[in-house]
Amino acid sequence: MLFPTPTFAIFLLVVLPLSWALMSRQRAWRPFMLLASYVFYAWWDWKFVFLLASSTIVNHVLAVAIYRAANARLRRGYLFVAVAFDLGLLGYFKYAGFFVSSAENFLANIGIAGASSVVHVALPVGISFYTFMAISYVVDTYRGELEPASFPRFAVFLSFFPHLVAGPIVRASELLPQLEKPRDPRRVDTTRAYYLILTGLFLKVVIANHLATHLVDDVFAAPKEHSSLETLVAIYGYAVQIFADFCGYTNIAIGVALLLGFQFPQNFNAPYTAVSLQDFWRRWHMTLSRWLRDYLYIPLGGNRKGRLLTYRNLLGTMLLGGLWHGAAWTFVAWGGIHGAGLALERLRGDVRKALGHADPPDTRWRRVIGRLVTFHVVCFGWIFFRADSFGRAWDVITQLVSAWGQPSPLVTTSVVLAIVVGIGSQYVPLASIGAALRGFQRLAVPVQAACLGVGLMLVDTLGPPGVAPFIYFRF
Amino acid sequence: MRLLPATRGIVLLFLALGLAALLNAQGLRKDAESRQGAGRGIALAATRPLARLSEFLYLDRPRRELQLAIGREGEDRIDTRVTFRLPPPAGPLPNRPAAPTKPAKAHRRPLFTPAHPLRVWVAGDSLVEVPGEALVRATGRHGPVDILGVESRLSTGLGQPAVYNWFTRIAQAIPQLHPKVAVLSFGADDAHDYLGGMPAGKTVGKLGSPSWNAEYRRRVDGVTRELNAARVYVVWIGLPIPAGPGFRRSFPVVNSALRLVAARHPHGSAYIDTWDLLASKQGKYTDYLRNAQGELVLMRARDGVHYLPSAGDLIARAILRRLDHIYDLRS
Repeated sequence: MLFPTPTFAIFLLVVLPLSWALMSRQRAWRPFMLLASYVFYAWWDWKFVFLLASSTIVNHVLAVAIYRAANARLRRGYLFVAVAFDLGLLGYFKYAGFFVSSAENFLANIGIAGASSVVHVALPVGISFYTFMAISYVVDTYRGELEPASFPRFAVFLSFFPHLVAGPIVRASELLPQLEKPRDPRRVDTTRAYYLILTGLFLKVVIANHLATHLVDDVFAAPKEHSSLETLVAIYGYAVQIFADFCGYTNIAIGVALLLGFQFPQNFNAPYTAVSLQDFWRRWHMTLSRWLRDYLYIPLGGNRKGRLLTYRNLLGTMLLGGLWHGAAWTFVAWGGIHGAGLALERLRGDVRKALGHADPPDTRWRRVIGRLVTFHVVCFGWIFFRADSFGRAWDVITQLVSAWGQPSPLVTTSVVLAIVVGIGSQYVPLASIGAALRGFQRLAVPVQAACLGVGLMLVDTLGPPGVAPFIYFRF
Repeated sequence: MRLLPATRGIVLLFLALGLAALLNAQGLRKDAESRQGAGRGIALAATRPLARLSEFLYLDRPRRELQLAIGREGEDRIDTRVTFRLPPPAGPLPNRPAAPTKPAKAHRRPLFTPAHPLRVWVAGDSLVEVPGEALVRATGRHGPVDILGVESRLSTGLGQPAVYNWFTRIAQAIPQLHPKVAVLSFGADDAHDYLGGMPAGKTVGKLGSPSWNAEYRRRVDGVTRELNAARVYVVWIGLPIPAGPGFRRSFPVVNSALRLVAARHPHGSAYIDTWDLLASKQGKYTDYLRNAQGELVLMRARDGVHYLPSAGDLIARAILRRLDHIYDLRS
């Protein structure tokens, strides 16, 4: 079930009142929410519901075993089994074909021909997201930061439909306490919920879909057939498209959760205003960044084992982060660009410290330059993220310099406007948004409904026909 | 932000969605047309009175005015006509091809050069996008083949003109674009029990039934003859071998109609068999195949139906080989 569809609207019209009606009776609410979430998930393919259920059962059993284990060795053993199970699922469903084909191509290159033996494995929607949530649950239990929840509570935590298919990656310590007691029906952040849902729909349906269908898809499909200007604008366009697509999805997810009375962590914070790559990763897909930091970078040693190992850890974390996004070497390259960039930023700081230089003053111009440089490094990375092969990525890069002065029919006013709105929206001060929301809150319910109804009409009318899937569903 | 009672949020949701449904009623009505199965009847039954009420209250006006302002007027129009200018052929279309599907070779192939390129229009449902883009890549900007455009409309086909009327569009495209070749890909969204645009009082049976097959062939044949009459050569891209067992049963029904019609017009059309092209050596579905460079690459999207660019390249090569057979293409 996709968020921007009439089907989901009907689903929410049924689930929201029932959820609040049952909220005070948790014994009824949990099975109800579990059923609702499984129906939501089964809308794609009912068979994968069994996979989600298996993951829930195995992780719960092993988390309890870790908690009750008599000694550290046994606890470590159970943790190993749990993480191996989770990574095994992810590896099989997401990476089996990629690794087998890469191995076959490698063997063919060294003269060992093998028969094509890649089997078809369908990718269950959202597996990357709920697997990471399951891993964080068992690891936090192992670290003693968490007591295992009851099975129904854990099952709802893992399958809760607002976050199920594309995040945000919510930690057990954030959501499980909220699932412990009924949410207060008198205290719901309705205004922010509707603001997030409406802006999310606008970002996805209008901005992201418009850029994809009117510019980005054409240019990245056949870069050699487009001018340098079109190529440059398409790269900026993709930067805005992927932001609008993913931020739009998580805004809707956070908004829907708020309507149900639950708080999810923020996932985006104006990422294209970042003044450095480190700053970018504190603003982009924040729930993934902190997952990678806490369950990969820090266990690898973080910055505690000397400079060289810090650089290695940064690079390794980002390479694996790239691979998490997709089973292709272009994603690994994307991760490599970010990892190398982060390591270089760190190196620059280390060199400055070693030379005894103070940190440069934080001036306005320095910030402007920092933003421009960071944005363009990020855009360079997006070329590899979007291109379907290294050859196509190289075509995009060479076309940036080799076809100036040619006609650029795809660079239209609406495309430029969508890019300006997509980037400009990140510079709107939070105080202005807060003031607008407070103003909205003062309106009578019918007027609020009229505003939202007109907003939904605008989104539906301005968006291109058809429902394009969210980019992050693939991950 | 002040926290409010949940009931207020629920009331607001009902009111806002109710108003949005009235404001978007025409769009919802059209969306209902594209549904299949049991949901279709329910969606149509719900959206028909909604659209009438919206019209009565003039609530359809803002959407219509906005569409007009952004140059997308008529997007909600439901046009179910399946009309052809040419009279239908005498007698029913055959169930089996009379001759092998090998294209008839012209004695003197028409010459096309970069100065006078072969104008090719690519159109169809979502499956046409990737082969279309691959054709753009393969032909380049200054070659003897000029791809006029790739018109891809999600979830459309010849089976549901109410969603998007390709019969009308094809009739428009001929004088607009002056193509010499039309590369068409339809059928993935047609392979259902329902066929829209039937004349009043006439119905068809389930997918694959004699009446369904005859009606679908009539449509494919009509499109082919209209284009041929305008001296446009038609290339029908068949449906690929899919991963899912349901599609593995339904796609061959469509492919059979395309193949039969192409065989019936050997001088004016060709059928590109993507089923076998993208199947493994054992004739089974596979995600990975070897590309032109001999590398094992991912060919199919995760849904087990759509193409990835590497598959598009294979299909584009097959299409260009066929065109090369018909036309004298000189760089």
